[in-house]
Amino acid sequence: MSTLKKCSFLLILLVLIFPTALFAQSIHIPPHEKVVFKNGLTVLLLEKHGVPIVNFAALVKTGAAGDPAGEEGLASITAQLLRKGTQKRTAQQFAADSDFTGGSVEADASADFSSVSGEFLNKDLARGLDLFSDALLHPIFPQSEVDKLLAQSLDGVRAAKDEARSVLGTYYNAYLFNGNGYGRTSDGDEISLTKIHRDAIVRFYETYYAPGNIILAVAGDFQAADMKKKLEEVFGGWPSKPVTPVKIPVLPPVKSKKLLLVDKPDATQTYFAIGNVATAAGDPDRVAIRLVNTIFGGRFTSLLNEALRVESGLTYGAISAFDPRKAPGPFGIYSYTKNESTAQAIDMALQVLQKLHKQGITAEELASAKSYIKGQFPPSIETSKQLAQIIAINEFYGLDDREINDLEARLDAVTPAIAQQTIQKHFPTDNLVFTLIGKRSEVAAGVQKYAEKQDARVISEPGFWPPPTQE
Amino acid sequence: MKKNWLRLATLAMVCVASFTSVGTPAVAQEFPVAERSLKNGMKVLVQSDHSIPNVALYIFYRIGSRNERPGTTGISHFFEHMMFNGAKKYGPGELDKVMEANGGSNNAYTSQNVTVYQDWFPRSAMPLIFDIEADRIQNLSFDPQKIESERGVVASERRSSVDNDNGGLLDEQLWATAFIAHPYQWPVVGWMSDIERWTIDDLKHHFAMGYSPSNATMIVVGDVTPEEIFQLCEKTIEPIPSHAPPPPVTTVEPPQLGERRLVVHKPAELPLLMIAYHVPQTNHPDFYATNILRTILFQGESSRMYQRLVDKDQIALDVSSQVEPAFDPTIAIIVAQPKQAVDPGKCEKAIYEELDRVKVSTISDEELEKAKNIRLMEFYHQVRTINGRANTIGTYEVFDGDYKKLFEAAKNYAAVTKEDVQRVAKTYFGANNRTVATLLPENEEKAKP
Repeated sequence: MSTLKKCSFLLILLVLIFPTALFAQSIHIPPHEKVVFKNGLTVLLLEKHGVPIVNFAALVKTGAAGDPAGEEGLASITAQLLRKGTQKRTAQQFAADSDFTGGSVEADASADFSSVSGEFLNKDLARGLDLFSDALLHPIFPQSEVDKLLAQSLDGVRAAKDEARSVLGTYYNAYLFNGNGYGRTSDGDEISLTKIHRDAIVRFYETYYAPGNIILAVAGDFQAADMKKKLEEVFGGWPSKPVTPVKIPVLPPVKSKKLLLVDKPDATQTYFAIGNVATAAGDPDRVAIRLVNTIFGGRFTSLLNEALRVESGLTYGAISAFDPRKAPGPFGIYSYTKNESTAQAIDMALQVLQKLHKQGITAEELASAKSYIKGQFPPSIETSKQLAQIIAINEFYGLDDREINDLEARLDAVTPAIAQQTIQKHFPTDNLVFTLIGKRSEVAAGVQKYAEKQDARVISEPGFWPPPTQE
Repeated sequence: MKKNWLRLATLAMVCVASFTSVGTPAVAQEFPVAERSLKNGMKVLVQSDHSIPNVALYIFYRIGSRNERPGTTGISHFFEHMMFNGAKKYGPGELDKVMEANGGSNNAYTSQNVTVYQDWFPRSAMPLIFDIEADRIQNLSFDPQKIESERGVVASERRSSVDNDNGGLLDEQLWATAFIAHPYQWPVVGWMSDIERWTIDDLKHHFAMGYSPSNATMIVVGDVTPEEIFQLCEKTIEPIPSHAPPPPVTTVEPPQLGERRLVVHKPAELPLLMIAYHVPQTNHPDFYATNILRTILFQGESSRMYQRLVDKDQIALDVSSQVEPAFDPTIAIIVAQPKQAVDPGKCEKAIYEELDRVKVSTISDEELEKAKNIRLMEFYHQVRTINGRANTIGTYEVFDGDYKKLFEAAKNYAAVTKEDVQRVAKTYFGANNRTVATLLPENEEKAKP
């Protein structure tokens, strides 16, 4: 790895000629194969031997963005019900068969896509594939299971609200996007979950769970040719049907300041998020963004954590993160501090952001962050589970193996000047959206100064943002 | 997050198993581990794995909150934080900066029993990591200013993990009630009044007590050879002199003679229920049968408790159990999340009925086999990464006295019979041996006096 850094000029020349050979000793993703079945199902196969496990990851290209207005949570509920009753297994039988192998089938939905994953020992592959495909192909959504899951999910939202940190992101996204696009919660809320009915679930499944709308990645201890044959037998007969992609609204950054304070009367600590709408997956600047964010708020010695934790002891942790998706997703600074130091910690976070814009970053910081990302990357592609997910998600976002194989070269290509442009272009300055969860009676006065537009909610009130309209 | 205290330190002890499933020969992988005892008493275990160009290095110190005294509770965990705040060669803030600039990262956790330091780094950073570790083991500095700012960090950590977390809050009260004599009764993070008052002398005393090389075990897994690690150890770690280990913890928790109950009233959306039973320490022979029992009762949606409380009666969102690795007799904790407005007493009753069912009639052959299959899968989950393997090898070495017990777990689980499972259910999971903690939601108006 260090050789690459020193020889970056030579590297650029060589990449053009021998792109694969050059990286043989460097970070690379194991070779894998892509097949598209006649019915449109995209299959990705990656052999990884050593641990006798096989991982399946099916990515359905429609997620919570496909939830009808007022029925937030539908995609997630649909996914979770896949293994709660099929044509040949009750929910209980499915759980018993799956648990008996020690393996698992899990499903959920995020904004951009739904996902179904399976994990089995290779000695149980036949049974595992049968379970995994049963969930995908033959769910029957029994009414009793629908009722049960909806009731549980409703209480799940309430339980999450008992812990401010677990709902900070949900409130922040809702407020940032003002309840549109990625501002709609993929888990649903106390109101939307009561509006979801079985017929909508069946319709969602029948509309979007189609082979042409699915990427199926399999990684682990198997022979690709053999696996391909097995998958063809199981999924080859799944009839194709056209799927109209769901349009995800592209929302621009907020052009003013606003602040939402969610009152949690028993809180002794304020949890806060600050930021704006940022970039989409596949942004041409993504490697530079990752580098700058590593320096700003993406590691222990980041500028944010140094200021708020290491230097001042105001918090246990301060981070920043981009969440790139199909359409531009959020950027946020996230931290927490005791009630009394709420404004002090927010002031400090804002100063660090200003300093980033004014002073930029040093060549030394840039070099450090490059080493850090390179050094920490290999364990993120260590297991077959990680690999199955990565290749499926890259395929979904129209990215390819160069995301990994060229990572080092792309990092090395980021100069201080490019880093500076990245800061100006992608890190917000004056227009900021604030979301705080804390004890209103103790913190409200101190945070008035951050925005003229102030909004308020109480955590026990149903929903996130905007407040539900009175019916 | 980083440098965190962890009561549920690791799943390693409940997860590690390699064994035969019925009809199939033992298939779990064994991997060669090289070992060396340094002259100062530190044991070093190395496992080579060249699949990624990275290394996971763990140092287990046999010191935790069980070695503390009232008045300075939480000092082990606070000390763990101070281990990142400067020594002789790498001053305040330098350790993290140098490590990250060389591609490495680190963390640490403190439990009731051990304090564990973790480094994850590319092979190229290896000499640097040993230099850093040797520096802080022998030349830690105690900067008064750093102590004050770190006190704020730990207070924030406590507010997050206990004061603003219903599960953390109830868990703390549960331990404090289940133990009346043994030091497991106080929280790893420490009581807030102790966090506010620790002194520099408390830290120095703790360092002198717990941080002899002979009180530590190092595990290195990844893109290394045993020879190069042993050479680095000889150069950097072996010259550090040893001293006496911490004094033994002599207090023995007396047998519990009847049920104990506690209630926490606070504003909350949902109630919460925890039930603790005293069980033996990790290296006790009943460890395996107890784990099989807990698997049958709690693991997966086909487990007896899930089927009863979540699926059939629909009174809970979730039900699970936990036992952490422990040097001394500890507790197994059952956690149930009742649905909104459900009386936690209903969940309690259902849990006792399911426990009684195991005591009255033995579990089925299929359940026993399922439990063993689940344990096998968990073994692979633990050892499929270099990080998981380092933690697992270390946990076996420290809590069972020998990392090779990892490879015997197969045999030990296979030997568990239906009768063993029934016996441990009867022995440990009885009414007189339990402590019941309930969190009851209270709205703001009522909460005011």
